Amino acid sequence: MNDLVVRDDLSLVATGTQDFVTVMLEGQLVGIPVLAVHDVLNAQKLTVIPRSPDWVAGVLNLRGRIVTAIDLRRRLDLPPLEEGKSSMSVVVEHNEEPYSLQIDKVGEVLSLDDQLFEKNPVTLDPRWREVSVGIYRLKDQLLPILDVDRLLAFESNSKAA
Amino acid sequence: MDDLLNEFLTETGESIDVVDVELVKLEQDPNNKEVLDNIFRLVHTIKGTCGFLGLPRLESVAHASENVLGKFRDGELQVTEGAVTVILESLDQIKEILAGLEATEEEPEGDDSDLIGRLDAIAEGGEAPLAEPDPEPDTVDGEIIDPGLGRSIKPGEVSLEELEAAFANAPGPGDEPEDTAAPAGASADNNDGSLFERVGGEDTVAVAAHLISQRAENDEKIAKFFAGTNQDQRKGRFMGLMLALFKDDLDAADAVGRQLISVAGFGEAQFNHLLEIVKSVLVECHVHADAADEAVMTFELVREAVINASKEVAQPKPGSTGQAQAGESQAGAAKETRRSTQSIRVSVDLLEDLMNMVSELVLTRNQLLQITRNMDNSELGVPLQRLSQCTTELQENVMKTRMQPIGNAWAKLPRIVRDLTVELDKKIELEMLGADTELDRQVLELIKDPLTHMVRNSADHGVESPAERIAAGKPEMGTIVLNAYHEGGHIIIEINDDGRGINPEKLSKKILEKGLASEGELAGMSEAQIQKFIFHPGFSTAEQVTSVSGRGVGMDVVRSNIEKIGGTIDMVSTVGKGSSFSIKIPLTLAIVAGLIVKAQEERYAIPQISVLELVRATNAEKAGENDHKIEMINDTPVLRLRNRLLPLVYLNEVLGFETSEEVEARDATDDFIVVSQVGAFTFGIVVDQVFDTEEIVVKPVAPILKDLDIYSGNTILGDGSVIMILDPNGIANMASQGVSDAVEEEDEHEQTRRAAANNKESMLVFRAGQKHPRAVPLSLVARLEEISIDDVEKSDGRLMVQYRGALMPLILADNAMSLRESGSQQVLVFTDRQFTMGLAVDEILDIVEDELDIKLVSDKDGVIGSAVINGKASEVIDVTYFLGLAFPDWLATADMSEESSVARSAANILVVDDSDFFRNMLRPILSVAGYRVKAVSSAGEALDLLETGEAFDLIISDIEMPDMSGFEFAKAVRANDEWAGTKLVALSALSSEKDINRGFEAGFDDYVAKFDKDTLLRSLSQQFKIKGDAA
Repeated sequence: MNDLVVRDDLSLVATGTQDFVTVMLEGQLVGIPVLAVHDVLNAQKLTVIPRSPDWVAGVLNLRGRIVTAIDLRRRLDLPPLEEGKSSMSVVVEHNEEPYSLQIDKVGEVLSLDDQLFEKNPVTLDPRWREVSVGIYRLKDQLLPILDVDRLLAFESNSKAA
Repeated sequence: MDDLLNEFLTETGESIDVVDVELVKLEQDPNNKEVLDNIFRLVHTIKGTCGFLGLPRLESVAHASENVLGKFRDGELQVTEGAVTVILESLDQIKEILAGLEATEEEPEGDDSDLIGRLDAIAEGGEAPLAEPDPEPDTVDGEIIDPGLGRSIKPGEVSLEELEAAFANAPGPGDEPEDTAAPAGASADNNDGSLFERVGGEDTVAVAAHLISQRAENDEKIAKFFAGTNQDQRKGRFMGLMLALFKDDLDAADAVGRQLISVAGFGEAQFNHLLEIVKSVLVECHVHADAADEAVMTFELVREAVINASKEVAQPKPGSTGQAQAGESQAGAAKETRRSTQSIRVSVDLLEDLMNMVSELVLTRNQLLQITRNMDNSELGVPLQRLSQCTTELQENVMKTRMQPIGNAWAKLPRIVRDLTVELDKKIELEMLGADTELDRQVLELIKDPLTHMVRNSADHGVESPAERIAAGKPEMGTIVLNAYHEGGHIIIEINDDGRGINPEKLSKKILEKGLASEGELAGMSEAQIQKFIFHPGFSTAEQVTSVSGRGVGMDVVRSNIEKIGGTIDMVSTVGKGSSFSIKIPLTLAIVAGLIVKAQEERYAIPQISVLELVRATNAEKAGENDHKIEMINDTPVLRLRNRLLPLVYLNEVLGFETSEEVEARDATDDFIVVSQVGAFTFGIVVDQVFDTEEIVVKPVAPILKDLDIYSGNTILGDGSVIMILDPNGIANMASQGVSDAVEEEDEHEQTRRAAANNKESMLVFRAGQKHPRAVPLSLVARLEEISIDDVEKSDGRLMVQYRGALMPLILADNAMSLRESGSQQVLVFTDRQFTMGLAVDEILDIVEDELDIKLVSDKDGVIGSAVINGKASEVIDVTYFLGLAFPDWLATADMSEESSVARSAANILVVDDSDFFRNMLRPILSVAGYRVKAVSSAGEALDLLETGEAFDLIISDIEMPDMSGFEFAKAVRANDEWAGTKLVALSALSSEKDINRGFEAGFDDYVAKFDKDTLLRSLSQQFKIKGDAA
């Protein structure tokens, strides 16, 4: 495993490679640090929670644990998934609470060289910029990396929701 | 080291708690040797361990109290209340030091010399009655010079006199391992016989062993070799050694000798030093010099064994005989301690984890069972059955690990009661029944404080002083009985005292003082109702605030704490006989019974504990006479349930599935109403369907959903689906926003209840136009008249009637009604200053004395709101509206009339209240009382009015108002000199003592509780009187 690099100052030349699980979201490939991912799930039966913020899709039972499902599309202001298409989800943990991030499809695990990493372009959509650590330059496309902690830091986001 | 310290802290904490209880027992039964031994042992262990861990401060305190205890045990000192108090004090000191230790891992700084001095004084006090003719000890600078030693006694040493005493009348320490040895009976001056007899027999040996072990411990040269053993062990070993040696039992002596030292480095020099100690002790014990020498000589026999044992410790040789023997006897010693430790310590976290895992297991088991039920595969059936059974047993047992006897919560009570009896000079016996009744530790923690508080209350306020008790013909000793038992999934805890009971008269005075109710209202209440006022916020009945109870928090806190965990509290009190409180609490909070209901295809659980009953209501049109039906008052659904009006909320609406319009529009033929209770507020939740009740494991909701107070948690059902658990509390809050605007932001149900308690009023009930009854406060009605229809004239499009020489306008009470064709018409006559109007009604039904409890506020013209009067939903009409109809200039005049008004031309009153209801309610009341009234809806408006120069004699202000509170308003008014003459009266629902004081500080001249018309009027006339006197 590579050394974990402090990502505060990303202009520094980092060393080694990082592993990411890639997921599809509205045609965009997004990376989630592989160590943050606990589970990958197919479509699950969700219990909706009335009166909850709209980007909370509901709760589900994952082997006896109650997991809160986050609708990433809503969270990132993307249009809802087409009718009939089922979503998948990636289970991550934040403050020891499990959350399932609903995405369109799970891709593969990529091991990426730190050299390919770049800060968010300033012109990036604020919604994306808020939850993205930075971007990897892949051969044929760009891969924004999700900052799971910031995505799930509800205290600061609850007002916006 | 950390672990060691931790262990020590937990263990010592427990020991201290036990000692607390035991000491109180001892005080009651001073001759109970068993109790005494137990206490002594515990304190002793504490002391020993402190020494081992190097905690000198703790050790010295423990030592001093052990000293006194030792004398109790030896019968030298009588067990007295004073002595026990000081020992308890020293325990408190120990606790304090322990707390410091826990926080900083170091002994806190502090001086215990006073305490130790007092303990020592008590210890010395025991020397006085001794028969020993020894000269008085020489005292130099307060130090005691022991004549036998010729030097001052070091702490930890026992004076010779004590020994003499012990020698003279010692029953002999009964817990020594060798105490089955040869019978005593020989005396020291018998020169014949064995060395054992010549030394003085077992008694002397015991005393000597005690002394030697103490000296050895305090001797710089050899103390460290005895570290790690406690004094009892040391003493036992020395005694065993001496007994063996003096009786020529060399094998035994060798064995004990090997055990004597468990630390390496004990060599020839140390052994010689030890012998010197032994000799001096024997001489001190009045052993004949020859015998003493001989005795010391015998020690030579074990010299080798002792020194070798010490070497062996340094180089452990497994398998060596000495080692094995030592091991064996250590095991023997350990066996004794193990007897009391049949349990092990497990961290609470681990238990919680275990509990969670078992919950999962149960859920999975349920799922499996459900799956196999639909399969014909019998192969799975049997193992699954077995699994199911094991799971159930496992669940039960794990639940048991969380259960603790309620006695744990009571452990501190004997001490508290005992301290109280001393402080208050009362005699109280605390009886505890059912201490082994078990309940969940979480619940246990939560009821600990309320229970303590209640017992304190009983002892402090309940039980009388002995003199009072005798005067009342009761036994001098008061009794408080705690009783706990299971009853249908709940635990009932009763606290009974045979004290003076709660005096309703005294209570009434207090209630009046605090303005919680008016005299008239109190007169209408039963004793029990008045007694229940002790649960009101800010109530304490003790005339004097003692250090014990009455710190401002009272039974209301107890009540709210108990209600928080879903419990209830009730009280029965008979004056002169005593009071009885009973608390009902659920066994556990982790697994609760939940009622599963459905709303919009989703299932939800409602905790069974807050469900009172289920009612099925049928559609209003189809409903028969006896069916429950949902009625609408002013678009608000209510249910008439046994003479009460039950506000309803639709779950679909609460959850945002439907808007209120949709809810009304839908054609529900059947509705299920879950009648729920939150505190004293009862309401109905209308759901689509009710399933069954299920045991559910409550899991907290994710942090993100914490803000949603309509949920108290979520759970996984047997079929694996997650459902939300509704919180009736949150739903009630949500519902109350729509239910009653009259009530401000404050706690809704508390308000409703208070309103109900305070609003007993005569109401005139009549019918007009509609079928449902209407009501008006009788106090507003001037006269009831029957007016002949022939006399009714129409003028200017309005109905008029000649009445008492003037023309009186006649208003129809409802648009839908019409005057009768002929005969006479019932008319209510209202008078306001020069205005007199008649209100024509169809029929006067009744005059009812009832609580005016406006449940639902209406915005319909002429209606204040709805209330249950005489068991029927009635509209309370707004007289001001009709006055306005009759005299379009009435309102204007009411505001502006200067000299024209009748009585009390000086009395100009400004009402500041943000609630329309109160303004409208107050205006007629005050008008009728002869005041000129102007009302504004905010403090800001009021200040503007004052700025424009409008002068008022008195301002009645609400406290809870948006933007500017009444307090701030009062300050603002007081800040301006021009308005200095204006009296300020606060009228507020906040009527706790604190609020009232705050009101006076802010500049109010008086503070009146809302809903209390009489007090308000009285206060007003009083204020004007003061004003008149001052002028």
